[in-house]
Parts: sequence; structure tokens; C-alpha cells
Amino acid sequence: MSVFFRRASFWFLVFIAAAGLVGPRLLVSPADVVGAPFARPVWWRGDLSTSKTAEISAAGGRAALAADGFAKDDGLRAGASGLVFDWKTQPAAVFALEGEITADPARTVTVTWRTPGKDFELVRRDGREKYWLNLDARDMIFKQRLGLPLIGRGTERLFPQKGRYELAVGGAESFRLKLTLRGQKQGLLGTDQRGRDVLALLLNGIGTSLTVGVSATLAATLLGLGFGLTAGYVGGWVDALIMRAVDILLAIPTLPILMTLAGLWGKGLWQLVLILSVFSWMGTARSVRALTLTVRESPWVEGLKALGAKKSYILRRHLVPETAPIVLANVALGVPGAILAEAGLAFLGLSDPRLVSWGRMLHEAHSFGAFTEGAWWLIVPPGLGIVSLCLIFMDMGRFLEERIDPRLGGEDHAFR
Amino acid sequence: MRKNWLLRRVLASLAVLAAVLALNFVLFRVMPGDAVSTIIDPNFSPQAKERLRELYGLERPLPEQFVLYLKQMLTFRFGLSFLSRKPVWDELLSRLPGTLILMSLAMFCSAALGIWLGVKAAVKRGSWLERTVLRVGAVMSSFPGFFVQLVLLMLLAHDFPIFPLRGSLSVPAPSGAWALLADRAWHLALPVLSLTLMGFGGWALYVRNLMVRALGEDYVLMARARGLTKDRVIYGHAFRTILPPLVTILLMSLPGLVSGAVITETVFSLRGVGSFLLEALSGHDYPAAGASFYLLALITVVCNLLADVAYGLVDPRVRLEGVNR
Repeated sequence: MSVFFRRASFWFLVFIAAAGLVGPRLLVSPADVVGAPFARPVWWRGDLSTSKTAEISAAGGRAALAADGFAKDDGLRAGASGLVFDWKTQPAAVFALEGEITADPARTVTVTWRTPGKDFELVRRDGREKYWLNLDARDMIFKQRLGLPLIGRGTERLFPQKGRYELAVGGAESFRLKLTLRGQKQGLLGTDQRGRDVLALLLNGIGTSLTVGVSATLAATLLGLGFGLTAGYVGGWVDALIMRAVDILLAIPTLPILMTLAGLWGKGLWQLVLILSVFSWMGTARSVRALTLTVRESPWVEGLKALGAKKSYILRRHLVPETAPIVLANVALGVPGAILAEAGLAFLGLSDPRLVSWGRMLHEAHSFGAFTEGAWWLIVPPGLGIVSLCLIFMDMGRFLEERIDPRLGGEDHAFR
Repeated sequence: MRKNWLLRRVLASLAVLAAVLALNFVLFRVMPGDAVSTIIDPNFSPQAKERLRELYGLERPLPEQFVLYLKQMLTFRFGLSFLSRKPVWDELLSRLPGTLILMSLAMFCSAALGIWLGVKAAVKRGSWLERTVLRVGAVMSSFPGFFVQLVLLMLLAHDFPIFPLRGSLSVPAPSGAWALLADRAWHLALPVLSLTLMGFGGWALYVRNLMVRALGEDYVLMARARGLTKDRVIYGHAFRTILPPLVTILLMSLPGLVSGAVITETVFSLRGVGSFLLEALSGHDYPAAGASFYLLALITVVCNLLADVAYGLVDPRVRLEGVNR
């Protein structure tokens, strides 16, 4: 085990696994909508807007303000007639206003959005004591009433230029309003088509990939070990039967069969593990059988037989430990295959939609228009995640193989 | 002996086919839930249901059903699609050429590039070319195909719109045979390019290893001593001897190629058997799903058999001795 400590890939794996364990607990839940759809990463250059919220409650000429995301020099002020602030970036991606207003039924209540260019009257009502507001610039009716273009986010006209903006409430006795301006950039890795945090999704995907990859490979290896030992040690027609089954399974295209199984039998995490393991034990079985065949004929096994050792004893105490290195290397080399298969199925949409995984992220990026948005941050992080996990396990597997069989090392190392 | 060898290969293929058929039967009939609903559309009228029940023999015992099912599968009568209400086979037949063209182009391009680079790498051992080929080949095998394809799409279809984002043909399709062909080629370029990028590494690694060994043999030295040109020695003598194992990888890469075609068709929204399988699975169109799975497996089995026969042709030892590899 200690030989691993000198291997960089091992520490990468530890780091990724730790991130997968700790990350989801530190960050927002991947199910939460935290920003505008397709918001760019915060470190994106340019004067893109960031998310801001301002909650104002006013009654009897006095106002209280709770704001988030505004800078000090934004000049945010609240008064009995509403909010004032400076806008110094490009338009917000989402403009939403909700809250309640109480007023004298005889008076007309208005809520006006004053921009440096044009004023938009968001609300004009009368005849009641209390009004509830829930406005969103993405709403078709809202856009139509204000004369905004129906296609698009609807916020470009609401923020025509940089300058002083005012949310003015007229004719109200008291009100409590919350203005939500979601930014064009959000989070370290931006957001997806639903406004979820991509970093949170990415870190949650680590768990899925590792769980499926490792447990499917372990199960497949156990199957392969069992079949390989049986075939090699028992021999005869049992051997022939198992090896023909291996040949047949290897000749069937894996993905269509996995797709069919996942499509018909369910898409949960453990179903996936089961399906993957049933169709990936063949390689291990072959190499274990080959090893068993050579060991079976070796003098020391004959010696054991001569001493009266039972078949089961020889298998358990001598053959299984003998195959351990091969099996270990097979596990490490098998994990990338399982991770790729899981990602492939999820990418095709054949995974549980509630389960966050890297393949699922790519599936959603592909089917919900990441291309038209140019949203590379939805494609590159999960893709690189899959690639790096695969490379790490491959490296560890190669390393193990070389330790088992030093002839594989040295000059010819790269092309094994 | 030759007949014997061919017979063995055919029998092996038939065994795989039998396994596929059995699997297909079991998968779609021993499912959780109502088995009947996977074969007959629940939305059909009672009379239609009754007729279909009789057609598939669903009231009869399983072995009898299996025989009936075998007959239908072997004669390509797959029943009606739940979604389009048209015979599944017609739909599949119209999509088969797309998949076959994609697969063969991808295989040809990746094999050609891989073999060329592999031979070059073997001839120039220790050069930067060899190191690059080896490294790229090893790394590419860890890249999920769809990720590479998505990145290519992003770069070459969105950021620099050289290639189309989706589909196998423009809408509306251009008129004229040449324009149509050109349009098809334009839509196929990115899929084939991506599959080539994914596939050439394996070929290059393998060819390089075989060639390094072959170039160290005495007959190569002999050929050089006879004063043959370098190209003649490399391609006429050394390369010829590695042809049989190359056929083996051709054979081994086939199931992966079918899987690759399924993913590729999905990413690029191409019309093919793979995308049909996915559509059928997500639309709970079970007759279509079963038939396309069967067809994809059949493609693999047939290609495997062809590769086996080719193996016998390039390596006379196989057919003369009748030895099983």
C-alpha cells in the first residue's frame, strides 16, 4: 500500500475524493436555483452584472433596507417612495419584483422603474387595500404590457444604459418589496440552463462517478475472479462453457445492450452498477483463467495435492492469493471503463434525472442549448472531470501491472 | 481443412447470434410490470390488441412464443412501432445506410491514419513523432467520445461555424445529386473527424508495436542487404507480415465502433439505427427498441464473421491448419 504514497495520481485521487465528500456539504445544494440561466463564471472579464437583491419595507414615511450584492459605491438608498441605486454594469440577466403593498382603496398605486432613458410603469392599480406583486421580466404578459421584445430575456430594455435607476412606489401606505436582479455572471463555474450552480453540480458528480465506477468494477472483478478460477481450475466442459460465454459476451456491442437494459429495467444508481458489472467481468475472467492454468500445473500445487490438500483448500489458500495482484490491477484498469460507460449512459439520458452526474450534466448541456449560448462551462468541467478520473485510475493500474511484471516497465511503458 | 475452418467461424457467429436473440427475447418479455404492454401498445383498441396478442402468441407457453419470436426475428418482421404506427423494419431499413456509412468511414479513416502514424513511429524510433503518437494514443483512450464531440461541435460549429450543428442533411435539402452528396459529406465531416480522432490512437499504438518487432527480424536485414529501397522494405516486407494481427484488431474494434456510432448519432442528431434505438427507448417504443438492438448486434456479428474470413485470407496458416486462434 505504501508504494502508492509516492505516486502523484494516488494523491490526485485522494484530493478528488475529498472534494467529492466535502464539497457538497460546503456548497449550496445542486438542486437549488442560485442564479440566472447560463450565467457566466464570476471571473469572466468584462463588466457583466453580478447578482443583487434589495429588500425594502416602508411604512409611515420610514423605510428599512436589506440588500445583498450591492457595492458601497453603488449609492443604494431606500426611502418612503422606493429605492435608488447606480447601475454600473451591463443589464441584469433576470429582473424580478415581488412583495406586497397596502394602500387606501381610493388611491391609485403605481410602481415605476425609472431608468436613465425611459420610465417603465410596472404596476398601476386601485380599488383594493392590499396588492400582491410577483413580476418577472421573463414573463410574456409582463413583456407585452411594457412593450419589451417578446424573444429574449426582457432585461436589455429595462437597463438601457449605465446610470441612476429608481424603483419608485407611489400612492402606497406601506409596502414590502423585494427586487431580485440576477447577474450575467454567477459562481466559480457559472450556472446551467436552470440557474443551478455548476461547481456544486460538478462536486456532486464526483460521488456518482466514483461510486458507480468503483463498485461496478469490484462486482465485475468478483464475478470474473469466480468464473476465471472455476474455468481454469475445474477445466473440462465447465471451462469450455465459461470461455464460450466470454467470447459471446465480448462480441456483443456493449453500449446498445447497456442502453436497452437501462431503458427497460430502471435507471437508478444501483441498477446501473448491476448492469455494468454483469457486462464487464469477461476480461478479468480471461486473465485469471490463464494464470490459474499455469499455476495449476506448477510443482508446488502438485506437491500440495500429494500432501492430500483438498481442491477447495488449494483454491482458497493458494490460487486466490496468487491471482490477487492481477485482480488488483484489473480493478484499477477496469474503473475507467465503468466510469466511461456510466457517463455514456447518463449522457444518452438513460440515468435517473434526479441523480447528479457528469454524464447527466453533459446530457443537459447538449439537449438544453448550451451551444447556442456558447456555454462551454457546462461542457468542459464535467468532461475534464471524467477524463482526469480515468487517467488517474489508468495510471494506478499501469503502475500496479508494472510492479507485478517488471518486464512491462521501462522503455515500452507508454504503449502498454 | 479450409471448409472446416470456415464452418467453425460460422458456427461461432451463430452462437453469438443465438445469444443475442435469447437476450432480446428475455429482456423484453421478462420485464418488471406487465409483459404484454411491452409488446403491444396499451393505446391500441381492444380488437387490435387481441389480433396482436394472437400474432405474437402471447397466450401460448413461453417456448412456443420463443419459436414464433425466432421466426419473426429471422424474417425481419418486427411488428409496428408504437410511435409511428408503421412497420419497424421499414424505418430501420431507411436508417441502416446512415449507420453503415458512418461506421465504415470512421473505421477507414482511423485505420488509415493510425497505420500510417504507427509505421512512421516504428521506423523513427525514439523521435519526437514516436513519443507524441504514443502519448496521444494513450491519452485519447481515456476521453469519452461524446466529450470530444461536444468540444468539437462547440469549436467548429458554434464558435467558428464551419460545420453544421446537427442533422444528416440540410433543411430543406438541396436539389441535384451532387449537391445532395456534398451536403451529406458536409454533415458527416465532423462526426467522422471526431471518431477518427478517438480511434486512430489504438491503431497507431498497435501497429507501432508490431512494426518494431517486425523491423527487427532477419528478413528485413536481408531485404536491406539486397539493396531494396527503404519503402519497399518497410511496406513490402515488414508491413505485410503484420497484416493478420491487424485484422484481429479490426475485429476487436467492431463492438466499440457500433457503440461509438450510437453516441455519435445522438450527439450530431444523425439519422441512424443508434439514434433510433435511443428514441425508441426514451419513447417506450419497445418493438422498435428490440429490433434496433437486434440489428446493431447483427451488424457486429456479420462484420465479425467477415473479418474472420479476411483473417483466413491474409494468413494462410489459419485456414490450412484449421487451428482455432
